[in-house]
Amino acid sequence: MGRTFLRAVMILLTGVAVGLFVNLWSPRAIPLITPPRPVVLDRQIVPLDEARQLLGIAVFLDARRAPDYEAGHIAGAFNLPVEDFEAHFAAVAGLLSPTTPIIVYCDGVDCDLSHRLLARLNALGYRQARLLVNGWTVWRAAGLPTTKGAAP
Amino acid sequence: MKWSGIILARLILGVLLVFAGAVKAFNPQLFAYELEQYNLVPVPLIHFVAITLPWIELLCGLLLLTGFWVRASAWVATGLMVAFLAAVLSVIVRGLKIKCGCFGTVGTEFVGWWHVALDAGLLAMAVWLTRHGKE
Repeated sequence: MGRTFLRAVMILLTGVAVGLFVNLWSPRAIPLITPPRPVVLDRQIVPLDEARQLLGIAVFLDARRAPDYEAGHIAGAFNLPVEDFEAHFAAVAGLLSPTTPIIVYCDGVDCDLSHRLLARLNALGYRQARLLVNGWTVWRAAGLPTTKGAAP
Repeated sequence: MKWSGIILARLILGVLLVFAGAVKAFNPQLFAYELEQYNLVPVPLIHFVAITLPWIELLCGLLLLTGFWVRASAWVATGLMVAFLAAVLSVIVRGLKIKCGCFGTVGTEFVGWWHVALDAGLLAMAVWLTRHGKE
């Protein structure tokens, strides 16, 4: 029993050690301590009513993963999964300028993909980007236009 | 009969743990986001768990598959399954609508009773191996 317990502890410690070691060298490494959640100011939140009026004017960016986006998104929205920002940014960069109104959203009250996307866009100088909280759910619930499938 | 049961339990647990560990180890950032949705791990520790947990799963699965330290890895698997079971149950109790994240991007369905059943089944196998697997 004592030996089994010792071995189990060794398995745990080895797993931790390998994980930490790989994270030192991996190109997909992440910081050891979780960075704080990006702060979004009140003025960066767009109410649903205003977002609705900006349909066709603002660029809508869906921060969720491609399968979620393809299963249904705000009509005309483009997909910019924040988890894979670099790979997808080039596809939408041509649509954006520092003065373009941009609306980012994801799904769920606790979803912070759009918070992170907003922070990335702000850092790149896109100052007119705003966030529609719980976007996909509230948009659908209001019966506003949606589409399915890959990016337009 | 018991001998083939042990092999089968080792295979099923081992393959699933290796698979679940590998996909998450390959993309710790994605796993960290999934983990954050559960709201169970204190925020500063989320990355640490996302970096290390997949490798514990992977190692544990490899040991079960190869047959080294079967009882010890079965104890680790038991611990993992208890934690996973508690996590998915808490999601259901709290009424959260989140992705499981159990297998990275593979399977994007929301957490539901199916996950409870899977974890409970795997937990039973792991517990059984802690008693009947070879040292």
